[in-house]
Amino acid sequence: MRAPLFRGHGWKWLLCAPALTVLLLAASGPLLIVLVYSFLSPGNMGGVVWEFSTEGWFRVFFRRDIFEPDLVTWNQAHLAVFWRSIWLSLQTTLICAFLGFPTAWFIATRPPSTRTVWLFLITIPFWTNLLIRTFAIQEVIRNNGTINTVLMRLGVIDSPIQMMFTDFAVLLGMAYVFLPLMVLPLYAAMEKMDFRLVEAGYDLYASRLMVLWHVILPQVKPGFIAGSILVFIPAIGAYVTPRVLGGGRTMMLGNLIALQFGQGRNWPLGAALAMLMLVVVVGALVLYLRAVNRMEGARRG
Amino acid sequence: MDARVQDTTVKGEIDITGVNKVFGQGAAAFHALTDIDLSIATGEFFTLLGPSGCGKTTLLRVIAGFEQPSSGSLRINGAEVAGLGPNRRPVNTVFQSYALFPHMTVAQNIGFGLKMLGKPRREIEATAAEMLRLVRMEALAERRPAELSGGQQQRVALARALAPRPRVLLLDEPLSALDLKLRKEMQSELKRLQTETGITFVFVTHDQEEALTMSDRVAVMSAGRILQMGRPTEIYNAPVNRFVADFIGETNFLVLPVAQTEGDAAHLTLPGGKRAQALLPDGMLPVTGADVTAVIRPEQATIVEPDAGDMTATVDSAVFFGTDTHLHLTLSDGQPFVLRRQNRPGQQPPEPGTALGLSLAPGALRVLED
Ligand SMILES: Nc1ncnc2c1ncn2[C@@H]1O[C@H](COP(=O)(O)OP(=O)(O)OP(=O)(O)O)[C@@H](O)[C@H]1O
Ligand SMILES: [Mg+2]
Repeated sequence: MRAPLFRGHGWKWLLCAPALTVLLLAASGPLLIVLVYSFLSPGNMGGVVWEFSTEGWFRVFFRRDIFEPDLVTWNQAHLAVFWRSIWLSLQTTLICAFLGFPTAWFIATRPPSTRTVWLFLITIPFWTNLLIRTFAIQEVIRNNGTINTVLMRLGVIDSPIQMMFTDFAVLLGMAYVFLPLMVLPLYAAMEKMDFRLVEAGYDLYASRLMVLWHVILPQVKPGFIAGSILVFIPAIGAYVTPRVLGGGRTMMLGNLIALQFGQGRNWPLGAALAMLMLVVVVGALVLYLRAVNRMEGARRG
Repeated sequence: MDARVQDTTVKGEIDITGVNKVFGQGAAAFHALTDIDLSIATGEFFTLLGPSGCGKTTLLRVIAGFEQPSSGSLRINGAEVAGLGPNRRPVNTVFQSYALFPHMTVAQNIGFGLKMLGKPRREIEATAAEMLRLVRMEALAERRPAELSGGQQQRVALARALAPRPRVLLLDEPLSALDLKLRKEMQSELKRLQTETGITFVFVTHDQEEALTMSDRVAVMSAGRILQMGRPTEIYNAPVNRFVADFIGETNFLVLPVAQTEGDAAHLTLPGGKRAQALLPDGMLPVTGADVTAVIRPEQATIVEPDAGDMTATVDSAVFFGTDTHLHLTLSDGQPFVLRRQNRPGQQPPEPGTALGLSLAPGALRVLED
């Protein structure tokens, strides 16, 4: 029985060859180009000059004084953008988790026939272009937008509240855009959840809060993990939302990279920044999954 | 012990009066429980027995606090518990599905109730160890539920529900997922635990044999009502109606004319013309000559020479059951009759077509209400 299987092994992988080729070209190819570009010199009108240089990577972290090129300082502007990107993405993930949990819970506890309707409603925003959804938010929060107009008419405030071009605006936009990505995996985890365990918890003298903490959360944890990854990764690379709602003042990594390929005309710097973002994302993912596994391992003892 | 079992009017551990449970409203309303009255004594092994969908689980859930009764009152240890959630009742449940927490070890599962009650850690650990000993699972304390067999999970569920020392333990068909051998084992295990802990057990099953062998008292339910409540022997020997007689054990239903009534007994005319005395249910006074339904258990008739007994019958078939043989017979008036005879070494079952005499045990024949 085993021999033919073994003999088969020699050529079977060939069947995967087309898929592997596409993967190689579509995923690794562009990545490789970006990596190579990050070690070249910038061209005058954008593009790259084929001349090896580490200046792109150097400028990611440091800056040279214009008049004294030997005077090297940390590139505070870039570091601020890194920090803001990570911080805003973390906050977005947390906000989505806090809003997503009750939403997913609500859907998961509806009768099965109506659940599909709620899920459908959750996915409706996906059908609309991201740019349009972002402009819709802008319409709500800009100085003479819906909220400010209503509040001023009602006499609650005298002058408009500045919401556009703040971290708040970016957070609002990102939370709105990414919320379904948290709700769906959470819902999937809750749907699989055994609600009889909730009853068992109540039966064993647990209060509502204790049941949530000791019975429900451990069971929907895989949903939280998947949701956090799905929200955090696109959030850290977000471009449209910070561009429209944050303007030039609250730039995120995505905008900084785009700037280098556009007005900045420094493709190697942009490429190095892009690679850095990849490292940050993969690093965060590895740390996160390790932490989760360690917690799991500790409990297993 | 017997006094407690017999006197059902004594106020006990659980007192249920006039409880109704209606699911849904209007035209879709469904009466899952109708006028349930029952009182369970402290330390009693009480069983709810009935076919699927008769409301056993619903009644258990009402006692546990997962469902609120639509009307009626429910007292546990004398205190009205209406409106109290399951976490505020001194009652624990062993769920049919076990419902063990998959992310906790066996020991953590068992300690959960005490932890929620805010007991100190040392006490929790000591009690968990004691419970593990009680259900003979010491070696598996650090396993997860997924790493246990069905019978082991069942024991953990039992230990978890017993650990907080509830006044009452509710068990919803806890053995139905187990195979026959394990099931027998767990039956005696359960009985042992109940005697050792002295906790009141309310046990749900649809297996009549399980109910008869384990219980101090049994309530037979059908379509949301309690039809009969009593000791297993009472239920078996004196079923109040056709449903109970049919549901508990095997029984023969004979339609026979009344020859004469006197007091709480009647003389019925058997096929072939002989008469036999039959017990009448309370308050029933059948007219002489009218047909009534009488029941007799298959083991309460014995084979005698033809013409020597109360009735004559011919053998249709014989089915061998190991300890005994079931003889399917036809009485002289054409009614079917099943007889159970204990097997003895060297005894051959009678050939089909053989004519037999049947002798009925005195007091075995009972008239049913229906
Ligand atoms: N939440 C509910 N809503 C509507 N009807 C219900 C609900 N729960 C139970 N019922 C109905 O009440 C009746 C009794 O159900 P219950 O679960 O108590 O039966 P059971 O005796 O435990 O049966 P089984 O032996 O199959 O477990 C059933 O007809 C069931 O359909
Ligand atoms: Mg049930």
